[in-house]
Amino acid sequence: MKTITHSYGADLTWIEKFAEQFGGRIEGNFIIMPEELQTGTRYFLDCGEGIIAYYIDVIYNKNFHFIQKNVKGDFVGLYYNLTEGKATVTGESRIYDVGRWQYNLSVIDGALEPDYDVKAGSRTYALCIFIKKERIKAFVSTHNIPFPDINLVTDPSKNTIIRFDRMSSDSYHLLNDLHKLKVGGPVFDLNLRGTVQLLISNYLKKMSTSRIIIQTLNTADLSNIISTQIFLIEHIEDHFPSIAQMAARANMSESKFKNLFKKITGLTPNKFFMENKLIKAKELLESGQFSILQVSDQLNFTNNSYFACKFKENFGISPKTFVKQL
Amino acid sequence: MKKITHYYSLTPEWQNEFVEKLGGKFIDNKIIVIPETIGTGNSYFTQIIPGISVLFMDFILRKPLKITRRVSNNELYIFHFDLSEHVNLIKINNNHYEIGSYDKLDLAIIDNQIESSFKPSINKRTVAIRILVNKSLLNDFISKHSNKEETKTKNKGRKAVFYHYGNIDSKSILLIQSVKNKSIYDLSFETLLKGTSLKLLGNFFNKFYATAPSKKNITENEYEAINKTKEYLLNNLYGSFPSITFLASMAGMSESKYKILFNKCFNDTPNRFFIKEKMLLARKFLQSGEYDSLTSIIYELNYTKLSYFTLKYFEIFKRKPTEDFIKKTRHL
Repeated sequence: MKTITHSYGADLTWIEKFAEQFGGRIEGNFIIMPEELQTGTRYFLDCGEGIIAYYIDVIYNKNFHFIQKNVKGDFVGLYYNLTEGKATVTGESRIYDVGRWQYNLSVIDGALEPDYDVKAGSRTYALCIFIKKERIKAFVSTHNIPFPDINLVTDPSKNTIIRFDRMSSDSYHLLNDLHKLKVGGPVFDLNLRGTVQLLISNYLKKMSTSRIIIQTLNTADLSNIISTQIFLIEHIEDHFPSIAQMAARANMSESKFKNLFKKITGLTPNKFFMENKLIKAKELLESGQFSILQVSDQLNFTNNSYFACKFKENFGISPKTFVKQL
Repeated sequence: MKKITHYYSLTPEWQNEFVEKLGGKFIDNKIIVIPETIGTGNSYFTQIIPGISVLFMDFILRKPLKITRRVSNNELYIFHFDLSEHVNLIKINNNHYEIGSYDKLDLAIIDNQIESSFKPSINKRTVAIRILVNKSLLNDFISKHSNKEETKTKNKGRKAVFYHYGNIDSKSILLIQSVKNKSIYDLSFETLLKGTSLKLLGNFFNKFYATAPSKKNITENEYEAINKTKEYLLNNLYGSFPSITFLASMAGMSESKYKILFNKCFNDTPNRFFIKEKMLLARKFLQSGEYDSLTSIIYELNYTKLSYFTLKYFEIFKRKPTEDFIKKTRHL
């Protein structure tokens, strides 16, 4: 077990100490870490306006215990964490499982000192965004967002926020797109900045539409719904399984299942399934290895005109136009 | 026809003059609402990072309007992404370009030092994103652009004044589509627009810097099949050429497709490729000193006439086989 005490912040002062703790060094915008501890990329970028992006794509070769002790508590961290493996965050004496299929979006106040544990062999792909509180406050007040706790949140002497949630599927696909790019260089920087802005935009949209906060749900229900989500993603190439079948899998009545699914993912099961199917189709087409007919057959669409119709409905252009201008 | 001239700058100031001439409401230094007499719709302008700003337009015009951009002192490039479902006109250097609707060309890059005018169609929805980028951010791009001869690219003789006219890639179209469906009064609109613009530029440069000819439009499966037949040819150099029909069925393709793909992969026809490999083998035999005569070698390689072999050998190496031949020396 390797224990690392470090700080984060909405400026670049924390990075050097962080690298030092690992026995690593900084090269340009990369943080290079020793291979025996972890393999992969860590990259940071100052996005301006008091926003720092920190990109992590690593496989841990040892168990790690991170203790966050921030020098300045004047920021809020948005952690988009898509770890495949075992990772937990301990905050305010509760332990939360985080990762792709757990809570994958955590919002943690910089004034808090959460611990982050990750097991050897875990593959972490995460994007952390650190934003200055003043920025949020200014933004909220100029846009008249109904955000009742704003003063509590931005005043460090009062309450602090820690929130665990699941990101919207839009955000997930944004991160997925970013993951496909080669890290480093001006093109990546443009994309990273763009992704950060879009993620913040998604998050604001979510806050303003006051959706249910997932943390308040019964954990058993939540994990059941998530397991059906996993089931759907794993069987994305098949036909849509019936609601009855999925409700049975989740140990709920059909109406409860439908309700909860919609609350958690923001989409109905069928829509969630179709959207992911079409995104899969888009990825297959992008690879240039398959014809439109092959893709539509592989994903079990009844015929390719139905596929084209759905594709156009979702993305606004037909698959043929899409392939032509790739 | 109403005509408006204006200039662009990275900061919001240029809009003051524009609004004055156009009429309409101007909100928060960002939003221009087009007056009812001309049409409905609005534009949204914001700075993204130092050196990059974006102007988003979404309107339906009732009367013809010609917007002419004057040359200004700001060193800028204008990336014009047009996603209107009809054709708008852009006039650059007295040439008219049709822009819009995604099966036409829909991306224009214009240097700020060239005057251009934009004439949207009337009674149709016009959607466009204009990204203004400071030249100093793009020095690398300019130098590459001038020596890369792209279709539809015209370099004006003067230093680094150019424009480019082409297609938006699919990924970017999807991005713009997602902006198109949002209201500009949404609170998340500004960040959405900023993010989208940065990603648009990212996509553009990604495509631009990726060396185009590396991908030859061959899928992996096809490549594997072609490679299999190549291996087969190499393993059967002693025989005669197995025929295209045979090779194509081995690769699971039609004959014509097979021939085209083989040519793409190895820049040669299957038969020529086969003979070349055969001749390389022949040369090895000739130089090995293990044969008594040329005839024994050509029989080995399934040739019946020495003259034909000599001809082919000469075609490839520009030498006669006898010049390379080392006769087997007998130890008495």
